[in-house]
Amino acid sequence: MARLIVLGGGVSGHTAATFAAEWLGSAHEVVVVTPNSKWNWIPSNIWVGVGQMSKEEVTFDLAPVYAKAGITYKQAKAVSINPEGSDSIEKPFVTVEFTDEARLGQSENIEYDYLINATGPKLNFAATPGLGDANGLGEFTVSVCTADHASHAATELEKAIEKMKAGERQKFLIGTGHGMCTCQGAAFEYIFNIEHEVRKAGVRDMADIKWISNESFLGDFGVGGLHMKTMGYAVSSKIFAESLFTERGVEWIIGAHVNKVESGKAHYELLDGTMGEEEFDFSMLIPPFAGVGLKAYDKAGEDITATVFAPNGFMKVDANYAAGSYENWKASDWPSTYQNPTYANMFACGIAFAPPHPISKPMSSPNGTPISPTPPRTGMPSGIIGKAVAHSICDRILKGSEAPLHEASMAHMGAACVASAGKGLFDGTAAAMTIYPVVPDFEKYPGTGRDTDYTFGEIGLAGHWIKHILHHLFIWKAKLKAGWTLIPE
Amino acid sequence: MIKEVITYPTPPSVEYATDVRLFNEELFSLIDDLKESINENGMDGLAAYQIGSYFNVVVIKKEDGSFLELINPRLISTNGKITTIESTAYFAGLTAEVTRYDNISIVYQDRESKQQYLKAEGAFAVLLQRKIDYTFGATFLSKLSKSEKAIFEKKLEYGSNIAIPESCPTTFRRDYLVKLSNILMITIALTLVVSLFISTQETLLGMWKYQLYTSYAVVGVNIVYFFYAQYEGKKYTSCTSCQIGNIIGTTFLALVKLTLLMLLSYFLVNPL
Repeated sequence: MARLIVLGGGVSGHTAATFAAEWLGSAHEVVVVTPNSKWNWIPSNIWVGVGQMSKEEVTFDLAPVYAKAGITYKQAKAVSINPEGSDSIEKPFVTVEFTDEARLGQSENIEYDYLINATGPKLNFAATPGLGDANGLGEFTVSVCTADHASHAATELEKAIEKMKAGERQKFLIGTGHGMCTCQGAAFEYIFNIEHEVRKAGVRDMADIKWISNESFLGDFGVGGLHMKTMGYAVSSKIFAESLFTERGVEWIIGAHVNKVESGKAHYELLDGTMGEEEFDFSMLIPPFAGVGLKAYDKAGEDITATVFAPNGFMKVDANYAAGSYENWKASDWPSTYQNPTYANMFACGIAFAPPHPISKPMSSPNGTPISPTPPRTGMPSGIIGKAVAHSICDRILKGSEAPLHEASMAHMGAACVASAGKGLFDGTAAAMTIYPVVPDFEKYPGTGRDTDYTFGEIGLAGHWIKHILHHLFIWKAKLKAGWTLIPE
Repeated sequence: MIKEVITYPTPPSVEYATDVRLFNEELFSLIDDLKESINENGMDGLAAYQIGSYFNVVVIKKEDGSFLELINPRLISTNGKITTIESTAYFAGLTAEVTRYDNISIVYQDRESKQQYLKAEGAFAVLLQRKIDYTFGATFLSKLSKSEKAIFEKKLEYGSNIAIPESCPTTFRRDYLVKLSNILMITIALTLVVSLFISTQETLLGMWKYQLYTSYAVVGVNIVYFFYAQYEGKKYTSCTSCQIGNIIGTTFLALVKLTLLMLLSYFLVNPL
């Protein structure tokens, strides 16, 4: 009987664990280690953040679902990995620290045959003074990264709306809180959902809404922008985004590294080297991501963290980390099997794997501050990678350790994204976009690096309905209800 | 090599917004082509996209005749708004009123791939913004207000830069004449119906005469309509299409209806 441990129960980890349990059956054991008691459909946190959904609607308890699937569930935080075992333990193991009330603070060593690292990111609020600290989100801004953060954001938004109703102008500043952030899409969704809610509340004329991000052009989204083919035209996401921002009366600051946040004020440095500050009454700034800080030790107890993990704390996989500067980047630098190069029974998926380099053009200010988006690994690609990794491990367990690994390179993978721009059955809008491949392949597709035939974009009410249907569909799937395996990632 | 500058209606390529990664001979040759094409056509600048290349490259000809080479340019900070009349090679001979930023700062790379920074204002800032938009596959159409866009689309349709500020009215004065003609014909038709219930020769004669004179009036009204409608059409140059056809058609239909009515009346009403 083999044991697979999945660290993390987010989109990628949950997908990997549930499929592995389905394919392996009861002959082998799947263990999920996650510090959270609930699963969260993160994309819908945007709607929680504007008070259009409750926290309960976007989360559910993991324990009954894992009990049903026959998965061993440990509500705990992984602390370290011993891929070679230790003096006293023969097999590789993970040291975890329980986070549930009953066993809070207790630790346990769990042995494994295979390990999937799908911990997701650490929300690194501490990277920007004032945005937060080691304990998390600070007091000056809000966040929509977790369901709790989003609930808090909704309360603050409600207060701002009340103030506007009482005749007090409010300044909204939404975007990224550091020069090396990813997830611009989430901030994009949030700013337009706020604009929509404020308009619905009849106080749009009292709100100054401004975007701030580390993109070098509006519509970069961390993927170097995309071509939105619609109505026979291929429109750059820059032109699309600028039109949308102008139409909705939203101003923007781009190429910005927010370097300090104070009460009601954000300080930033621009790509052209100038410094600026922006006042706000309400601000949601996405933090940069870092690895969760897992440590690794060899059999002798020596720290091998630098061997297993990249300097940013994400796990090294079969990527080319020596690609060098921008001109040398290739699609083939991107990992396809997500297997750790040192330990063949360790894999990483979702945000937890270390990407070889960004997708967007790297840029920095004359002062040397790097200001450019880091690559997104969320949503659809994250689910697809989780499933592929689970497939590889199941094959190795069931067919033998030489079974070929399944591949899911982001350079051969398309992605669909539905970005909400306001929630409402009849007045909602969302931008639906697809890109292929996610990582541009300049050799296969000279020029943009992408196949414009498979790149599509459209904004409208239908997009919103799709987004709403997806919300229910993916929660249905994550709860392992009837037919869940048929629902794509 | 001098390259042909792509102009409307040739559809722009769907390939654009490609950052230059290799600063090699291919790039330098592209920059040379841009310079030669600028000189040949007496232009103030060209984006590589305008000569069919997908690379983010812009070359500007400065007032002193030297060239500014911008590779992978990005518009970073902006301030103030300015509205000017712009023209661009893609829409040769046409102009549009475009609102852009008055003060801008851009970042770009030079031919040694070194990152550079530039501040610009006024006409130079406008030129840079228009060229950077090209590198993202967009002409100034994407920057026009709705009303300006409607006017510009008319200019494109007629290939003429005559300012056409008015829009087509939904009702014309000439329509009143059509209405009058129709009312007169209805009275002729009503007279025809009533005549079926009348046997007095004298009354019938009176009715026929009424129809006859009214039909002359209808013809007269239609003649006035035909000429007045054309006069009115010339006042709205933006909606000339199909107007002549409409006028001829309307007059012809009115006369056909009148002829039918009068033929029936000649046999049914006329007692002579």
